[in-house]
Amino acid sequence: MLIQILLPGLLLSGLYALIAIGFTMIFSVGRVLNLGYGAFIMFGGYIYYQSAQILGLGKVPSFVIATAAGVLLGLIVYVILIRKLKGDAIAIEISTLIFAIVTQAAIIVVFSPSPKSMWPLIPGVLRVGDVIVTYNLVVAAVTSWVVLAALFLFIGKTHIGRAIRAVSMDPKGAVISGIDPDRINLIIWGLSGGLGAMAGIFLATYTQLAPAMWVAPLIIAVAVVIVGGIGSILGGLVAAHVIGMLETITTTLIAAELRGVATMLLIILVLIIAPKGLFGKAEL
Amino acid sequence: MFAKGTNKGFLGWMIFGIAMLALPLFASSATVRIFVFANYIAIFAISWDVLSGRTGYISFGHPFLIGIGGYTTALLTHHLDMPLYITIPAAVLVTMIAGTLFFLPALRIRGTYFALVTLAFMELMYGLVQVVAPDITGGTRGLTGLPSIVTGAVSNYYLSFGVMFTLGLAMWLLIRTRLGTALGSIGMNEEAVRACGLNTTKLKLFAFTLSAMIAGLGGAMYIHYLGSIAPRGLFDVSFLFTILVACLLGGAGTITGPIMGAFFLTLLLEFLRPYIPGSERYLIYGVATLVLYVLQPRGIHRLIQITVNWFVEGFMRRKST
Repeated sequence: MLIQILLPGLLLSGLYALIAIGFTMIFSVGRVLNLGYGAFIMFGGYIYYQSAQILGLGKVPSFVIATAAGVLLGLIVYVILIRKLKGDAIAIEISTLIFAIVTQAAIIVVFSPSPKSMWPLIPGVLRVGDVIVTYNLVVAAVTSWVVLAALFLFIGKTHIGRAIRAVSMDPKGAVISGIDPDRINLIIWGLSGGLGAMAGIFLATYTQLAPAMWVAPLIIAVAVVIVGGIGSILGGLVAAHVIGMLETITTTLIAAELRGVATMLLIILVLIIAPKGLFGKAEL
Repeated sequence: MFAKGTNKGFLGWMIFGIAMLALPLFASSATVRIFVFANYIAIFAISWDVLSGRTGYISFGHPFLIGIGGYTTALLTHHLDMPLYITIPAAVLVTMIAGTLFFLPALRIRGTYFALVTLAFMELMYGLVQVVAPDITGGTRGLTGLPSIVTGAVSNYYLSFGVMFTLGLAMWLLIRTRLGTALGSIGMNEEAVRACGLNTTKLKLFAFTLSAMIAGLGGAMYIHYLGSIAPRGLFDVSFLFTILVACLLGGAGTITGPIMGAFFLTLLLEFLRPYIPGSERYLIYGVATLVLYVLQPRGIHRLIQITVNWFVEGFMRRKST
C-alpha cells in the first residue's frame, strides 16, 4: 500500500515540479504572475502532437521543435505584451489571462475542440511489485529532475545565472551593476516558454490534449509557488512534492474526483495561515 | 453630498434608461433575448466593479459568488418547492455570508495573492459540487426545470433591465459619495487611508458584502431565467473571463464603464455570429479585447470621455474665434 502511493506520487511530483518551474522563474525574477503560462503548456503539447502524430517527424525532433516553439512564444509574449505594460502587475496578470483564452480560442480554430489522445513518449509499463507505472511518467519525472539540475547549475554557476539572481534580488541594484533587467526578463520569458512547452508535452501524454487543458497546470503552478514561497526554487521543489503526494493520496485513498479539491484547500490554508509560504523570504 | 459632475451624469443615465425602455417596441424577440443576457452580464460586472474596480482587490472568484447564489435558490426551489420570493432573498443572504468568507483572506493578503485565492475558491467549488452529494446538487449534470420568475422575452427583459438599472444607478451614486471616495482610495494606497483615521477593514468588509449581495441577486435571477444550473459554465474560467473583460474593456472603477463593456461585448459577440458562425468568433473577440486593453487600459469609458472632451474643446475654440 505504501509503495502504491510513494512511487506514483514521486513521479507525479517530478512532473509537477517541471510544470511549476517555468512559472516560478518569472515570478521570482519579474515579480509578476504569468497567468498565460498554461498557454505555453498547451502550445507545447499541440505543437508536439502536430509534429509527431500528424506530420510524423519522429519523437526527438518533435520534442525539440515543440520546445523551441515554446521559447519563441515566450519571447513574443514578452515583447508584445509584458514590455508594453511596464511592470504593472495587475495589468500583466489580466492581459496574460486574456492571452491564455485567446490561445485556447486559436487552438479550437486550428485543431477543433475535441480532445486528442497522444501516444506515450515511450510505450510500456514498469512493474515494481504489484505497482504499475507507465514508462511515460518515469521519463517525464527523470527529464524533470535533469532539467531542474541543469537549471540549478545554470542559475548558480554561469554569468547570466548570476545576473538573473541579481535582478530577482534587487532590479535597481542590478542596473547600477551594469545589468540590463529588460534583457534578463527576455531571457527568463524565453526559458519559461520553453520549459512550459516541454512540461506540456509530458502533461499531454500523461492526460490528454484538450483546448481547456491549460487551467489545471496553471493552478498546480500557482499552488507550488504559493506553498513553496516566492523566490525559492528549492521551496518550489518541496512544494511540488507535497502537492504531488497529496493528490496521489487523495486519489488512491479517497476518491479520484477529489484530485483538485485537496490542492485548492491547501492553497487557501497556506495563504491564510502562512502567506509567505513554507520557504518564502520575500514580503507580499 | 455627491461629487461634481453628477448632474451631467444623470442626463446620461436618463437617456440610457429611456432608450432601453423603448427597445422592445422596435426590436425582435431574439434581439430582446440578447439584451436580457447583456443585462445579466452587466449586473455581474457591476458587482465585480464595486469590489475590484474600486478597492483594487482583484477578484477572480466572482463566478463562485454567483454560483453560490444560483445554487442556493436552485436547491431550495427544486427540492423543497419553496416560492421564489423566499428563495431569492435567501440566496442573496447566503451569498453575502459567502462574501464574508471571501473577505477573510483579504485581511492578510492582497494584490496577486488575493486574486489567486479567489480563483482557488472557484475551482474548489467546481470540484466540490460534483463530488459532494451529487444526488442533491445534481452533480456534473446539474439541475434542470427550475421555475422562472416571469415568462416571455419582453417581461424578462424589463425585469433584468430594471434590476440592472437600479443597481447600476445606486452604485454609481455610491461611488460619488465620501464613502465611495474612501473605497476608491483603498485601491490607490491602503496605508494612507488608514493613516487618515479610516477603518479600512470595515470599508473592505462593506465593499465585499455589497459586491456579494449584487452577485447573489444577479446569480439567483439569472439561473431562474435560464431554468437550469450546472457546475460547468458557471464555475468556469470563460465565465470569469466574460465578467472581467466586460469590466476592463468598459473601464474598471467607474460602474458605467463595466455596463458599457457588458453591452459592447455581448452585442459584438452576437452581431459577429451571422458573419463568422464558428469558433473563430471567440478568437477575434479575444484578440480585439487584448489589443484594446493594451492600448487603453482604462477602457471604453475613457475613450468616450476623450472623444466628448475633444468635441467640447473644438466647439469652444470655434466659439472664441
